[in-house]
Amino acid sequence: MLQVLGLLFWLLVVPFCIGLLPGCRMDGDKKTPGFLLLAGYFVMWAAFEVVALPCVIFLRQGGFAVLSMVFMILAIALAAVGAVSALRRRGRYGLCIGLPIGGMPWPERIEWLLFLALLAFQLYRAAAYTSFDGDDAYYVVESLLAQRTGMMYRFLPYTGGSTALDTRHALAVFPMWIAFVGAKSHIHTTILSHFVLPFVLIPLSYLVYYEIGRLLFRLPSGKTAGEDVRADQRAGRAAKGKDAAGEEIFRRENLPIFMILMAMFQIFGNVSIYTNETFFLTRIWQGKAVAGSLVIPAVLWMVLWIYGETSPKHNTADRKHNAADQERSAAGGESDGADKKHRTADGRRGGNAGMWLLFVCINMTAAVCSSMAAFLICMLMGLAALCVAFVRRNPWVILQMGLVCIPNAVYMLVYVLLRK
Amino acid sequence: MWGIFLESVAIFKNYMGYYENGYLAGIFLLALLYLWMTEKDKCRRALLVYVPTVLLALFFCPLFRKAFVGILDDSGTYYRILWLLQMSIVSAYAILRLCRRHPRIGAAAACIVIAVCGNYVYDSQHITPAENLYHLPQEAIDVADAIDTDEGAVMVLMPEELIHFVRQYDTNIWMPYGREVLIPGWDYTPELYLEMERSEVIHTAALTEKASEYFCSYIVLKEDRKTDEPLTQYGYVLQNNVSGYLIYRNQSLSASAEDEGRMHSTNLSARSSRPASLK
Repeated sequence: MLQVLGLLFWLLVVPFCIGLLPGCRMDGDKKTPGFLLLAGYFVMWAAFEVVALPCVIFLRQGGFAVLSMVFMILAIALAAVGAVSALRRRGRYGLCIGLPIGGMPWPERIEWLLFLALLAFQLYRAAAYTSFDGDDAYYVVESLLAQRTGMMYRFLPYTGGSTALDTRHALAVFPMWIAFVGAKSHIHTTILSHFVLPFVLIPLSYLVYYEIGRLLFRLPSGKTAGEDVRADQRAGRAAKGKDAAGEEIFRRENLPIFMILMAMFQIFGNVSIYTNETFFLTRIWQGKAVAGSLVIPAVLWMVLWIYGETSPKHNTADRKHNAADQERSAAGGESDGADKKHRTADGRRGGNAGMWLLFVCINMTAAVCSSMAAFLICMLMGLAALCVAFVRRNPWVILQMGLVCIPNAVYMLVYVLLRK
Repeated sequence: MWGIFLESVAIFKNYMGYYENGYLAGIFLLALLYLWMTEKDKCRRALLVYVPTVLLALFFCPLFRKAFVGILDDSGTYYRILWLLQMSIVSAYAILRLCRRHPRIGAAAACIVIAVCGNYVYDSQHITPAENLYHLPQEAIDVADAIDTDEGAVMVLMPEELIHFVRQYDTNIWMPYGREVLIPGWDYTPELYLEMERSEVIHTAALTEKASEYFCSYIVLKEDRKTDEPLTQYGYVLQNNVSGYLIYRNQSLSASAEDEGRMHSTNLSARSSRPASLK
């Protein structure tokens, strides 16, 4: 029982409360519980990297104990600050707890049920079936070694002999996070990896796909997706919109269909052992699988989120919105004045800090997962920055995304220095 | 350069399941082409059209591959660049865009096409019903439980079908060799492994002699494994018989010798350290 409570605390309560922290600096419609949990995980993993890397590199003896202690304090402090900040804002925080199923037509409900059935099927297969993978002899054993010996990356996982630091794998500290959760929950890390973590990481990945879908099937006008849903619920109809070319494709009811298609691609994506879909459903507890299925899509999500809503047309709508806001403030509108910071620029200036913090943390999570993923993410960021800057005719995009990559650049510098 | 390009093509075909009749790559490439022609939203076009296209171009570019392998010092993981394509997201979006008039009918048809063109992940021979919460073979757990590790780490010579698993259960079980002997490309085959696995009938004298070089406290043999002489004639005693495995304990090995064995193992293991990449 204590083990279950420990798992709930470290895999649900702490990440959720940490997610409240960047949520304080974002506009309201994003703050669904799923989004906050997702954001909390990325912030938590980034914080873990900051604590874990010095411990792995500099502490040969007892490094895991130091890491566990420091990270436990840090994680609980972050969670507490997040919870207190959210409580202080209370009504103004804008947490969307209610599910938007009230105004949802039955066909759409059935589609969501179909998707949930596919997700439940994947979770059932993850729990009831074992997937053999040779790399577990490395990653899972590294977690167990840390839990049992208190030393990190100082034993050969295959055989047991002691060894020098294997820089390439030691700097990707995802197995140490598993060891941390295992140690704090008093649960064997192999059970944690093979049985428990799929229940966390598979839904988390679908949360990222859901967020991407929300952006892909939103109304590309000045309104945000959450506003669309609420407005549509009030009107008792499904949302419809038009894309930049005037085509009628962005229906909210396409979101569950998108999720069903994503689930089908995952289930039937095993065209070879190399695809990220295969990694996703057969070894999601390994850092590289998390990188392929969670972190890389999360980068696409963030780029869509940040740069997908700032078209010139959109900015015009923002300016009109702001002008109206200022007029109301000048007339003594109390609520607008009090909430001004969160309402400017389509409610997104208040959201900028949290959004950029989350983007940085997602980048750092790549390095937690695998040293190669840090390189791949930088490459993706660079390409995306160039392409978005090109289509938007805005070179500042390159600078903005370059700044986001700084932690990964530092990571790669450390990696190169240690490899020499 | 041409050779490097052809290697990239082979990696691409392997990744996409070209040799196993996987056609999801076809769906993705058609989706990409369709989005090239129809997507007007700037950001989506940049992310879902330009980025995948440039990535594909870079993937096949020999100069890029040389740079990539040079920087990461690893050619075996080059395929992971294809993870950046996020084929599922691009394909799903394009399918919904294509079927915008009748998304439900389109999605139903797409699901059938995906099932036909793809490969059901749970059909994999590596996925089997779990025998316990560890998701490890029960015999590996039984064997590990039968070995006394209360006093600390012990060196155990394991049959090759168990070496992936026992240390996922108990890291106090050390082995003279591990997974590295099972990976053909890593070219690590110690003599002890050859004695243990490569002959139909184990030469007990040679096996025990090699095992003693590694200070093995235990030797685990499959029940039906044939030996020319019983191990009991060489200072071993049959301690247990679990899940079809015979567990022999070396009675002649003192505690100090076991410690020395662990030191020795460290040196041997360090010499046979694994290559840089895990596939």
